[in-house]
Amino acid sequence: MTGVATLIRQPWLWAWVGALVVWLATAVFTGGKGSGEVLSAAMTFGAFFVIVALGQMFVITLGPGNVDLSIPACMTLAGTVAMKSMDGASAMIPVGLLLALVIGAGVGTLNYSLIRLLRIPPIIATLSSSFIFQSAAIWWNRGLRVKPPEALADFTTAKIAGVPVIALFVVVLAILGHVLLTRTIYGRGVVAIGQNMRAAHLAGVKVERIRAATYIMCATLAGLCGYLLAAFSGGAALNMGEEYLLSSIAVVVIGGTSVAGGFANVPGLWGASLFLFLLVTMLNTFGAGAGVRLVLTGLIIIGVIVAASGGKART
Amino acid sequence: MKSLLKVTLYMTTAAGMLLGQSAMADTSDKRIALSNNYAGNSWRQAMLRSWEKVTSEAVSNGVVAAADAFTTAENQVTEQAAQIQNLILQGYDAIVINAASPEGLNGSVKEACDAGVTVVSFDGIVTEPCAWRIAVDFKQMGKDEVLYLAEKLPDGGQLLEIRGLAGVFVDDEISAGIHEGVAETGKFEIAGSVHGNWAQDVAQKAVAGILPSLPDDIVGVVTQGGDGYGAAQAIKASGRDMPIIVMGNRHDELTWWKEQKDANGYETMSVSIAPGVSTLAFWVAQQILDGADVPKDLTVPFLRIDQDNLEENLANTEAGGVANVEYSLEDAQEVIKGAM
Repeated sequence: MTGVATLIRQPWLWAWVGALVVWLATAVFTGGKGSGEVLSAAMTFGAFFVIVALGQMFVITLGPGNVDLSIPACMTLAGTVAMKSMDGASAMIPVGLLLALVIGAGVGTLNYSLIRLLRIPPIIATLSSSFIFQSAAIWWNRGLRVKPPEALADFTTAKIAGVPVIALFVVVLAILGHVLLTRTIYGRGVVAIGQNMRAAHLAGVKVERIRAATYIMCATLAGLCGYLLAAFSGGAALNMGEEYLLSSIAVVVIGGTSVAGGFANVPGLWGASLFLFLLVTMLNTFGAGAGVRLVLTGLIIIGVIVAASGGKART
Repeated sequence: MKSLLKVTLYMTTAAGMLLGQSAMADTSDKRIALSNNYAGNSWRQAMLRSWEKVTSEAVSNGVVAAADAFTTAENQVTEQAAQIQNLILQGYDAIVINAASPEGLNGSVKEACDAGVTVVSFDGIVTEPCAWRIAVDFKQMGKDEVLYLAEKLPDGGQLLEIRGLAGVFVDDEISAGIHEGVAETGKFEIAGSVHGNWAQDVAQKAVAGILPSLPDDIVGVVTQGGDGYGAAQAIKASGRDMPIIVMGNRHDELTWWKEQKDANGYETMSVSIAPGVSTLAFWVAQQILDGADVPKDLTVPFLRIDQDNLEENLANTEAGGVANVEYSLEDAQEVIKGAM
């Protein structure tokens, strides 16, 4: 019995329950037809959400006001530069990956410098820096789509027994993230800072070093996501990151991470990513109009968040 | 094509000088500004490049004194309204606008008109009566897609509709045209509809999600441009037979079409608006400044690509860009005459 009670109190549970419910609702509506394919698609597209949300989760956990709004621009810049440098040559795949990661790290370093050295609040700093990165992406290739190398495109779209390879890869990434959050000094430091920055500092947590590492990691993951997404969708586009701004935050919050910081979990990210994709798929399948769909999406997200925080209040 | 346009432009210049009552003489001290609300996709980038190319030539030939392009950063109505007010203060004789909202800018546009500034809106038009509108007949565009499919598929069947960005006027219009075409031809049924936001990756995701729940005999996909390649990727991944996907003139869409055409004789068509429509708006503004009698409502011609002129258009399209034409003074005069 205590096992069930503990499970119900898990903040990530609600996202998974939500994902399961909308998936079953879709399956009932279509009479079970194609449910496996829907799930496979959800894993593919959910994987991209999880990559950026993992970084965003660490940033949000740093406490009130910490958020990275430069994720879409960073994805676009990394994707654009990597695709153009590889120019479709399979031999350049590692170089492209390295470039995307370096650009991400550079973006994160710049973001943190603005926050730390110029003392600009993170929301403003990352929003304004995103204009610079977006402009850099436009300047670099003027919005032209360069096709990814064949081998890389094949990797991002490959499946083993119906399970997308990229989803397996991101599951491993998420496990690493989970270990980083719960089993390392760095992860515990992030949570401590989010709960009380001053107390964390007095307890010997290297606050600024951890904040710097967090912003750099978040942007590096965004760069990685931009690289993979550009490879997956046949080239980088200037607006490719757009929907990842709100989604990255929504996934973190629906997944049961506290938006006020100091409280995070990784399993919820996967649940929330699958939930968001399946929700839109369900409403599309029902043939709901765009207006109805947006209103329902909003209401259901609010519902899940309320359910998740209700669970927490009982503890 | 480009050199032909250039030649016609030079010829007009020469003819105008000879006749001595040229458009150029009258507008050579006029300054035209482009107020653009958004630059974050390949279509808008091509639009700005076309503007730059055609107007810089016009400026160096002395047709106008200046033709500067200004783009707002945030795609916000308030920001563009402030930008237009600045342009009025800077003393431009004409402002060419691609507007963030059909109604939101009307106040600033009215101010511009009252200050004696000519306002020409295109693509994203404004409803303020004092401004000129170069509008796209998006409804007809949607209808044309269905008419093409009706011709290719005499037996009709199930269609998948990919829409654009929810809540945007263009999306409603194209979709209305598609539904009108479906009702008129009476042999199609729209089995599913998703929003692809005019982006390949979003369309790919949305189509991949809805495909499993659709019947197996989808015969056609009607689109809005920028989403055809993503749809093709999603359908390919599902292992279904490839339906006729109407394309939207993007390079990746045309390339994919060409590959399929060579491999298995795949047939479709592609339609969109050339980003060079900004240059049409430029010439219309120049004509108005020149004192020409121009009706307030003009229509942009579509750029349609068919099976037989695919190769030619693909060759003229920049890798990764979108099929484009730049308009000349004569093209503008023809459009004006057509609307009289």
